[in-house]
Amino acid sequence: MDLVGFLVTQCLNAFSQAALLFFLGVGLTLIFGIMRIVNFAHGTFYMLGAFIGYTAVRLTGSFWAALVVAPVLAGAIGSAFELGLLRRLYKRDASAFLMVTFGLTLILEELIRLTWGVQALQIDVPDALSGVVFLFDEPFPVYRLFLAAAGAVVAIAIWQFLERTRLGLLIRATSQNAEMVHALGVDVNRVRSGIFGIGCGLAAFGGVLAAPLLTASLGMAANAVIDAFVIVIIGGMGSFLGSLIAAVLVAFVEVFGNYFFPDFALAAMYLLMLLVLVIRPGGLLGKEA
Amino acid sequence: MPSASGVSRRTVLQAATLAAVPGIKRAAAAADPIKIGLPVAVTGPAGGIGTQMRRACEFWAKQVNAKGGLLGGRQIQLIVEDTGGNPATCVRKAQEMVERDGVRIITCIVASNEALATVPKLAEWDTIFVSGDNGDGRLTAESLVPNFFRPNVSGPMGTRAVALWLRDSPLKNFYGLGMDYAWGHNSMDVFQEESKKAGRNFLGAVFSPIGTKDFSTYITKIRQSGADGVYLVLSGDDYNAFLSQAKQYRLGDKVQMLTEQVDEMVLDATGDASVGVIGGSRYPNTLDNPQNKEFVAAWKAEYGKVPWMFEGDQYQSCVVLQAGIEKAGSIEAAKLRAALEGLQVTSIKGPITLRACDHQAEQPGFIVKVEKDAAGKASPKVIASYPADKITPPCNKMTYTD
Repeated sequence: MDLVGFLVTQCLNAFSQAALLFFLGVGLTLIFGIMRIVNFAHGTFYMLGAFIGYTAVRLTGSFWAALVVAPVLAGAIGSAFELGLLRRLYKRDASAFLMVTFGLTLILEELIRLTWGVQALQIDVPDALSGVVFLFDEPFPVYRLFLAAAGAVVAIAIWQFLERTRLGLLIRATSQNAEMVHALGVDVNRVRSGIFGIGCGLAAFGGVLAAPLLTASLGMAANAVIDAFVIVIIGGMGSFLGSLIAAVLVAFVEVFGNYFFPDFALAAMYLLMLLVLVIRPGGLLGKEA
Repeated sequence: MPSASGVSRRTVLQAATLAAVPGIKRAAAAADPIKIGLPVAVTGPAGGIGTQMRRACEFWAKQVNAKGGLLGGRQIQLIVEDTGGNPATCVRKAQEMVERDGVRIITCIVASNEALATVPKLAEWDTIFVSGDNGDGRLTAESLVPNFFRPNVSGPMGTRAVALWLRDSPLKNFYGLGMDYAWGHNSMDVFQEESKKAGRNFLGAVFSPIGTKDFSTYITKIRQSGADGVYLVLSGDDYNAFLSQAKQYRLGDKVQMLTEQVDEMVLDATGDASVGVIGGSRYPNTLDNPQNKEFVAAWKAEYGKVPWMFEGDQYQSCVVLQAGIEKAGSIEAAKLRAALEGLQVTSIKGPITLRACDHQAEQPGFIVKVEKDAAGKASPKVIASYPADKITPPCNKMTYTD
């Protein structure tokens, strides 16, 4: 494989990973932007997505059905959680949210353990995407191309949703000045439940897509929540575009960093975060430090 | 607190207990059960293995009890406690079993560091510990105590089988991928040494941090190395992720994947992605001997699936223990120890000898390749086996002379 071939395949790898990181990070950043709370349970919703996806594939035989069912169910659970618990805490300080969402993590993880057991579970790549394409004489999985494409499609869809729809407008307005939106006669609480559900649903969507690469396992959540936080911190808390840029940056640093400096594989992502925070303490597109 | 009738609840309970006790005592005197302690990690990282081992013990106890127990009608009673894989907890739970429940035999400890922490206490507890999976070579070498026995395959014996297979294998050039911590590095060093002894080239190795999710760059490196075999020292989620992604990249078409141990938990989680992997096995359930066939059939009838590696190895240890108890005619440590030393048993792996010199069972070693079975499920198939005298190290040793 020559240099061009190497660069092309590694860039495609990086974009496929960027897509997974983006699904994880964008939900967390949207939730933070609107609600000013740090959702510690975000990684758990990602894991929940993978497990629900496994069962959906088992029952329906269709990966595509799982890709719809898992986000909808996880989103509904997220919204219900916001309605039932978080709503009572908006007058408290941020530590209350951390504790409650951490508690939710413990409960959900235990429920997942009881429901699906301790064993890792496999979701197969759907037949249509299970092949390889030959790039510069080397096989490259179609599924990774699909992941990169799915990332691009979802990013455009969210962007259009925020820019063009009434709910998108309300979300942007609420993130800038919730009191004003409320004063204009909009039920801000409904916007909040909606966005919490959407954020959790996006994480679950990422979980289903990641499962064919990772298997659905109980270790997924702890691993994912750190990635999600790093994306949000690098991109700037609450910034949609920031999370997109951060996901791509982290993925490229990880893929090329792992290749050229394998001994620093674990540190690559954090070094990038450190660098960004030194230059722009609020993150790349964050409002203020 | 007094109840309405003026008689406290406690009084009522005490009376009820007193009334019940003589009945219990009479029943117990007829056939005092043989209590066996299982300080087993069923939660934590080793929980998957611990669950298998516990199931094997339960299966064995049920079998024995159905046939009327041991030593003239004494039933087996398992006392199970979760250690979480923590050595200090393991010692504490085992001590409770010995002191509170009167246990004199323990087995089913999962992790080697738990076993190493427990063995120094055995003499004081006057208790026999029969290992069901503990692999650390030291347990039958520098850390050997008189009350410890190892009917299972040790770690060095597992590696030995892979080393012997290497010498006959058609593969010439190897690359390694290991997890970036002590086990990954140690195991890779041993493999590098063995591949050199076998006259093969070891081209290099790369180590991935624990929790790696994207293995694409490592797969690229393996491919670029030009090796025809890659030695994998991965476990848990990392191993599952690697196999899933390697299959998507068709890595197996060009490179033979090797591993220290082929564990059915990984096969179950990754399915087709594990097909083609070659590695050692402590117990392949496809062994062709009457004892094993009977065991597999009974296991299938009970659980609806074939027994896995750790289940088979723990079951063998239970069978060895059973033979020891029957030979000793007692569960007293001194008598049981004398009976176990030099004991010969025809087990599910064929005839094995629990040698007296270091309490390690001499037994064959197996190399398996993952293939699809008749039902289309990934399962290990034996491609090479080595006799006990080639696999078992010299007495009290962890290394081999050749």
